[in-house]
Order: sequence, then structure tokens, then C-alpha cells
Amino acid sequence: MIITDYLQSFAQKTPNKIAVIDKENITYEKLFQKVSDFSSSIPDIPQRSVISLMFDNSIEFLISYLGTVSAGHIAHLISPNISKINLESQLESSKPKIVLTNKKFMRKFERLDLMENNLIEYSEIVKKKNSTVKMKPKMNDYAYLLFTSGTTSKPKGVGITHSQSEFTTNNIIKVLGYNSSDMNVVPLPFFHSFGLGCVHTSIFSGASLVIQKNTSEITSVLDVIEDKKATTFAAVPSTLTTILKNLREKAGKTFSNLRLIMTNSTSIPISTVKEYKKILKNGHLATYYGLTEASRSTFMIFKDDIKKETSVGVPAPNVQIKIVKKNNEGKQGNILIKGKNVIDNYWDNVEADKNIVMGWLETGDLGTIDSDGYLYLVGRNDDIINVAGNKVNPYEIEKIVKELSEIEDAVVVGKKHDTFGNVIKLIVKKTKGSQIKKSEIITYCIKNMERYKVPIDIEFIDEFPKTEYGKIKRFMLQE
Amino acid sequence: MSHVILNNDEIKIEIEKIFSQVFPSFEGDFAWDKHQKDYEGWDSFAQLQLITVAEEFFEIEINLDDAIKIKSAQDLFDCVKSAT
Repeated sequence: MIITDYLQSFAQKTPNKIAVIDKENITYEKLFQKVSDFSSSIPDIPQRSVISLMFDNSIEFLISYLGTVSAGHIAHLISPNISKINLESQLESSKPKIVLTNKKFMRKFERLDLMENNLIEYSEIVKKKNSTVKMKPKMNDYAYLLFTSGTTSKPKGVGITHSQSEFTTNNIIKVLGYNSSDMNVVPLPFFHSFGLGCVHTSIFSGASLVIQKNTSEITSVLDVIEDKKATTFAAVPSTLTTILKNLREKAGKTFSNLRLIMTNSTSIPISTVKEYKKILKNGHLATYYGLTEASRSTFMIFKDDIKKETSVGVPAPNVQIKIVKKNNEGKQGNILIKGKNVIDNYWDNVEADKNIVMGWLETGDLGTIDSDGYLYLVGRNDDIINVAGNKVNPYEIEKIVKELSEIEDAVVVGKKHDTFGNVIKLIVKKTKGSQIKKSEIITYCIKNMERYKVPIDIEFIDEFPKTEYGKIKRFMLQE
Repeated sequence: MSHVILNNDEIKIEIEKIFSQVFPSFEGDFAWDKHQKDYEGWDSFAQLQLITVAEEFFEIEINLDDAIKIKSAQDLFDCVKSAT
């Protein structure tokens, strides 16, 4: 079944149940009606055409997205924060028949070389009553198209089929116990794999979704959790750490009734995991490991009896993970994933397709698997720094440095050096009001890591360059 | 510690602190004439860290030729003294 089949099913079974809370409450029956109306109002374009959508988190996003996929088209989801260059590149690659957005983002497209008829404002399309009959998509048709965030390389297009989407969503529901009584607060961008997965989960399970634009006003997000008596909350690790550092007391009260906080695969400081274990008296913190092209490949629920706080968990049902080592040395190696959540090929990218062989996706991530089958991420293959012949994983250093309370974020890169080939450079964003000195950081590193891993150069930075999804652009920090 | 002129005793106090930072396991076992070979762990990386911390603290630049010659706390003191 595709996502709108689930929506229809709940519209029939529980028509008055609240599906979405945005500015108003929208029931399953009403949401299904709006999606159906939207779907039939899409102008006549060939089946399986790309429709590019640019919306922030809103009911307009949901209706456009669900209406597009229900009509058998491919929803290309674009971040409103995208740069002009990336926007042009994505549109060139996706070749949309229609670009749909709302009034406030229209200007982002107006200067681009688009056919005039292609650009449609949301309010125009919902006014139309075309009532054209749309062909129902097949499970192996693409449902949506995302472009990877480009933290390590040029963004790649990733098309996800209805079948892959259903497989992944059912795994999330099965492992994390989502159900129709859940009230899910999601302040993550819906145009990104993590946020979109949360939307899918809510609809597939017949639960209620509380739309939040973002986490810039984190106190008000916490208020919403309390006010709506939320049962689950999804946030990236840095948000969870920020809450602990600034709103520890409030979080203790607000989160005590949650059954689940969901976060994602970038490394979470152990101290953060331990604190959330204490805070969540009636629930758990959970994380997953996945890529846009292999969504939710592992799950980890941080339960008290599992002392594996640095792991990203075990493979999702019917997903295989293996570690392929070079030269058979050590425990760590490249992480490869196979399963129905893995794409068959990238969007119009023959070069990237070489990373998928016989169904196995070479992720470019490095990891280890312990004797109980738990996966641990240790970094990216292409980020490893060679210091005088020693292979240094920048993430290991960052993780140690980020344990310092006066450091908000840190990135390690290699710096050319006459004697050692490379040495370690640390780039740091301090917490507000921090007076920490470079020498204090070096001293801390000397005590906590091998000599060759200690940063020789430290730079303080106000803000890291980030992608539109909020991930740090590491390659821009390389010297 | 910018723009504060330190006398010899003050520089020595700071250098002793730097040695205890770079060689934390040797705290309390400091001597001005103790040679590099008598420090466990004073390898080329430790040398670099010693110089980095000294440069950062005293706001000086130590050139490569001088840096290579530092084999004791006294050598670092001489180097800092000539650079300030």
C-alpha cells in the first residue's frame, strides 16, 4: 500500500481522529479529502513526472506532498534554505514538470530559467477544480526524490519508491512501537529524510502529528510537548544536547511523560545519552543509523540494561549490514548495507551507482560490529587523516573535545605539515560566554588521547558553514 | 596574557606550568636541566605540543631551527626569553 492508502484507511476507520495539528486541528477524514482534491487539481502532465515542492513545515507541505505521490508523480522535496547554485543544480537534474511553492518562496524561483507555466503557487492549484482522473502509482514507482545533504561531496539525487518507503516505515513502527494513540511532535524539516520518515510513521500508524517549524524556539517546542501531552518527540542530537545545557530542569518535567525521543545517527555524546536515560522515566531515547539511500538501517533503543551507549544499534528487520575490512587488519572497516530500504541506483548518476553492487550499498562510513551484533560508527572513510603514518579518525577527537562543557561544537580536519605530512587542526565553536583558552583545550586533549591525535592548531569560529539541512560542511573547512 | 611583560621568574613559573600540562604524568618531577631523553613520551609530537602551547601562551613565534634545539625546560626558557 502507498502512503495515501493508509491515509484513506484511517479516514474511513477513524474519520474524526486528529491527523495533524498545525494552526488548526485536521482530522483524518478532512486531510484525506484535501489530499484527494489537491491530487485531482494537478494539471495534466505525464504519469511519473517530477513535481518540485518547496515548503517549510506546514499543512501545505503535507497536502502537496501526499497529493503529488497519490497522483502517481514524484515529489522532489527542496529545502527553502537551499542556495541558488544547489537549487539550479537540483532542478537541472530532476527536470520537474511543475514547481510548486507558496507565496513567500516564489521569489527564489523567479530569477531562474524556468518555463513560466512550470511555477505554480499553492493557492492557485487548490483553487482549481480539474477533477482529472489520476492513475494510481505502482509500488515500484518513485514516490519522492531527495538530494543528499552534501556534507562530504556534491549532493546526489536519491529517488525512493513506494515499496522502499513502506518497508522502512513499517520497520520504524515495528521496532519503536508507534501506534494510533501516539501524539508525535516533530520540529525536524519534512524535506529531509529524518523528518519525512516521522511524517510517514505518524500517518502509517494512524497517529497525530504536531507540526513544528523548527527548533529555533526550543522553549516553545517544549511547551507544545507539554500542552499537547505528546508521547514522542524527534530531534537531532545537537538539539537534545542544547536542551540539556540550557533547559535541563524544564526538560526533566516536560519529557518525563514521553514514551520515546527519537534522534538520528550522528554521534551523540555519551553524557547526553546518560542524562536522557535519567530524564525519561517512562520512556526511552532511541537512535538509528541510515542514509537517505538506505533509510533506517539500524535501530538502537537506549535501555538501562543495554550498556552500549556509543552504538547505533542492530540491523533493522530484514536489513543486512556487513563490515568490509581492507587488508584484514583491525576491527573497523567499510559499512555495507543490503535490504529493501536500499535504493537500486542513484538519480541520473552513473558514477555514484558504482557504490551499489549486487544490492550492497557501500556507505563510505567506517564502523565495527561487536559480538552481540551492535554497530558502532567510527567515521567516514574519506575523512581519515594521516598523521606521520598514523590513521586518525577526526570523529574520535571531536567526540572527546565535545565532552568539554564550554565547547558547543567542534570539527577536526587535517593540516599540511612539513615533518608529519599532516597534523590535527581543531575548529571550535564555544558556548555562549565561554572563556576557554586554546591551551586548556590542548592540555585536555593531551590527557585524553594519544600524542599524535592532539590538535596542533586550534581556531575559534562563530558559526560553522552548514548545509540547508543544518549539517556542517566539513569539506569547506579543509585546508 | 597579552602585552604583559614578564620577568625571568614569572616566565619560569609559566614554563613549569606548560611542562606540567604537556607531560601531566610528570607533575612534581620537574627539573630545569632534565633532558628530553629522561622524559617518557617526549617524542616529536610532544615537542610540537610544547612549542604550540608556549607560542600560544607567550604570544610568540618560535622558528623551526630554535624549536628543534629545545631539549630541556631550560632550552625552552632561553628560547622564550630571546623571542619576547
